Amino acid sequence: MINGNLKATYGADERVLNNRNKQMFVFGSIILLALFPLFADDYSVLMACKMGILLIAVVGVNVLTGYTGLVSLGHGAFVAIGAYSTVIFSNLFSGLPTGILPFIVVPMAIAVSALTGIIVGLPSLRVKGLYLAVATLAASFIVKFLIEQDLFAPWTGGIVGIDTPVPSLLGWELDNKREMYVLITALALGTMLAAQNLFRTRVGRAFIAIRDRDYSAEILGISLLRYKLMSFAISAGYCGLSGALGAYFFARILPEQFGLDLSLELVAALIVGGMGRTLGPLFGVVVVMLVPELIKISMAAATGGSLELARYTGPVQEIVFGLLLVFFLLKEPLGINQITDRILRSANRWPFARG
Amino acid sequence: MGQFIQFAINGLMSGAIYALIAVGIVSVYKATKVVNFAHGYLIMFGAYFYFTFAVIIPGQDWAPAWLASWKPDWMVEMREGLSMFSLLGAVLDWAANVPRIICGLIGAVVCNAILGRVVERTLMRPLMGQSVFAMIMVTVGLISILSGSASLIWTADAAFVPHIAPNTPIRFELFGSMIFLFGADIVNMIIALIIFGSIVAMVKFTKGGVAIRATAEDQSTAYSMGISVPKIFSRAWVLASATGAVAGAILATRNGISPSLGLFGFSVLAIVLMGGLDSYVGCFIAAMAVGVLEAMTQWKMGGEWAEIVPYVAVLVVIIFRPHGLMGQKEVERI
Amino acid sequence: MLSISDLYLSFGGIKALQGVSFDAKAGEITGVIGPNGAGKTSLFNAISGFYAPNRGTVTFDGSDITGISPDKRASLGMARTFQNIALFRGMTVLDNIKLGGHTRLNTGLFSSFKYFGSARREELELRRDIEERVIDFLEIDHIRKYPITMLSYGLQKRVELARALAMKPRVLLLDEPVAGMNREETADMARFILDVQEQFGTTILLVEHDMHMVMDICSHIVVLNFGQQIASGTPAEVSQNPAVIEAYLGAAA
Repeated sequence: MINGNLKATYGADERVLNNRNKQMFVFGSIILLALFPLFADDYSVLMACKMGILLIAVVGVNVLTGYTGLVSLGHGAFVAIGAYSTVIFSNLFSGLPTGILPFIVVPMAIAVSALTGIIVGLPSLRVKGLYLAVATLAASFIVKFLIEQDLFAPWTGGIVGIDTPVPSLLGWELDNKREMYVLITALALGTMLAAQNLFRTRVGRAFIAIRDRDYSAEILGISLLRYKLMSFAISAGYCGLSGALGAYFFARILPEQFGLDLSLELVAALIVGGMGRTLGPLFGVVVVMLVPELIKISMAAATGGSLELARYTGPVQEIVFGLLLVFFLLKEPLGINQITDRILRSANRWPFARG
Repeated sequence: MGQFIQFAINGLMSGAIYALIAVGIVSVYKATKVVNFAHGYLIMFGAYFYFTFAVIIPGQDWAPAWLASWKPDWMVEMREGLSMFSLLGAVLDWAANVPRIICGLIGAVVCNAILGRVVERTLMRPLMGQSVFAMIMVTVGLISILSGSASLIWTADAAFVPHIAPNTPIRFELFGSMIFLFGADIVNMIIALIIFGSIVAMVKFTKGGVAIRATAEDQSTAYSMGISVPKIFSRAWVLASATGAVAGAILATRNGISPSLGLFGFSVLAIVLMGGLDSYVGCFIAAMAVGVLEAMTQWKMGGEWAEIVPYVAVLVVIIFRPHGLMGQKEVERI
Repeated sequence: MLSISDLYLSFGGIKALQGVSFDAKAGEITGVIGPNGAGKTSLFNAISGFYAPNRGTVTFDGSDITGISPDKRASLGMARTFQNIALFRGMTVLDNIKLGGHTRLNTGLFSSFKYFGSARREELELRRDIEERVIDFLEIDHIRKYPITMLSYGLQKRVELARALAMKPRVLLLDEPVAGMNREETADMARFILDVQEQFGTTILLVEHDMHMVMDICSHIVVLNFGQQIASGTPAEVSQNPAVIEAYLGAAA
């Protein structure tokens, strides 16, 4: 594969951004993201924050489903656990100085999520594919049910939800959306980078090996038990972080935010964006969040804001969401990332042959 | 003891309906190796179709009056002076509804069968021979498509839907305790069991059934032996959604119609996994067991806890028997 | 080095192995031959830990490994290839081979997330090692960035050998290394196997159909038929053995 990118050292060859186009794309995106809050309106910032929060969870699902090949339809539950743990621990440790509270609470929330992930992942050692999908789905229904119970309402607020604390990082109160944007974007980029790094090393490669051919992985000394559970823990931990940010971002959390819809949204975003690719979750989240917005805006414009017709917006959004997922599965199973790859590749070879 | 028997019987009655729904999931799995996550939403469509043909259409101005309520003079005469709780009174009330019940059931089964065929042709067929994962995820996408479409099409508040059978209360004594049942529930159970039994018999004994089993065993070999695998695929989907329509109609009369009917499919999915995806017998046992367990949970812990019984049960079963109670373990060649 | 003693394995009523015993001597190439269905692959699966034998033991370097899982056997220094190439199809050649280094690396989860620092050092060292020791050795440097699916059958077999070599194994199990190859590819593979034995001193156990190759490169041969061990010895001894001749050519011959 001669593409004019010759390397002199192994180090250079192992780099991720191994050509100019990729470097320009990544650094350009980061600069755009940094400038974004300076000119965007409040609503766009809000959307960007929501995307960032969802993105972190989708990156987590990507670790499990995209790279390790274990399908989960219940990852909404881990986001819920992260969010509720953040609120519960914040209330529990309310005696501590608020400035350091997030530094204690968020890691704990991630840990609780990861631990639950390991428990939910236990069947993955003995069952494959769709059995696991149903097992995770069942686990997520149970988690949501328990959150809703009156029995736990003193901690979780039950079915009516619970108010969330305002995060304060060493005295920096993140009480408006623009400040939250900074935190969320930084963490989203950080988690994507961490996931990217993971798959450049031994641990991540073991995950991919399990996905591609599990017995062959075993013969190379990869313990299926250890790595499948590790993958579950990592992905649940990512979802836990996403939940914790969600708890800080929204003024109130409700059990219904973390139901089947969320779990499906996570998987759909991953499939649309591209499974097992670093940027897949990013593309997927942008599409999954923006398309319903566009539908809302265009329907509002078409109906002239009539309330009578506004009730059709929800169902139409739902249908389009389903169609989007089905469309990608039928036409571009490797997701948007595959399309961008093609574009990048031909840009890289320009002006020579495309393909 | 009396309470126990009462709840056990209630449990068996819902178990039979679970089995009826499960048969659709198992049939599609057997033929196509696809687990249909959207089966609950097909059932929801069945329920809405039943509602359309049994309530909305008979209620229109252009529909003949006898369709909405069939009351010949002799029936009105007989009905006079009878309480609606008496046996004859209940039967006569039901008889007035018979035309629209039949209209509803036929309409629901036909429309749902068409829906199943359309889904198979447009979404499943293009993926035939490709990854099963993609097919399963398509059914996940189908959840949103069906659920959104249902709320677009049926915007009216769901009203009363007629019971399939006379809903007379029945009391009798069993082992020295009073048991209290509704006529319609018993008939529903019988319908469910008959449909379940005939599908199992069909798969076991008919030529078409052998073709399904052969396809389940090995698609490409079945294809090369002259079995039209695409035909088997579409038959399985049609069968599943037609039985789903009956199940939907029954559920509509029991629990009313709402978008949450779709969620019902997930608990049945759990049951199917418990039984073993490819085993009708296993699913029947699991359906009955979950039905009874749910009833017992309802009795001892209250109605809401019953809702997670199938999910807890499936997790417990999967940990001890990864392929369900009666499922076949897939042997991997190295 | 690797010693199999009195191994019995059955699946339901089928007796796949009935009392197989032999030693694979350190630094030598031992071949297992036999007609189709003789139990050769079952034997390999029992040695590498996928099947639990009903009776008998597998001893590796003096310690009994009969009961331990395949991944633990790998970390003891046992590598194998598969009859139907079991490469990771979603990866490049290089990543496949890197996976062979799994047990020799120590990067943990958190240093993986960080990458820069110890993880990067270890990865670069691994890259250098497999480039210089494996990729160069097996002459596959021109395809290192190719996805597996783009390679010919013979090259895929070679990549699988490369992956096994990346493990720095003490014992290498090769399940039909030249099956389905043309004469030239077979000759190449035989040369590589001999080179591995010579340069690294690896103990090699191979299952093969190609009698010529087995006779040429093995110093010791075990013959299986219907799960039973019917002969064992040097190539010369085995080829004279009447039971072997009968199994291969039929009684009438």
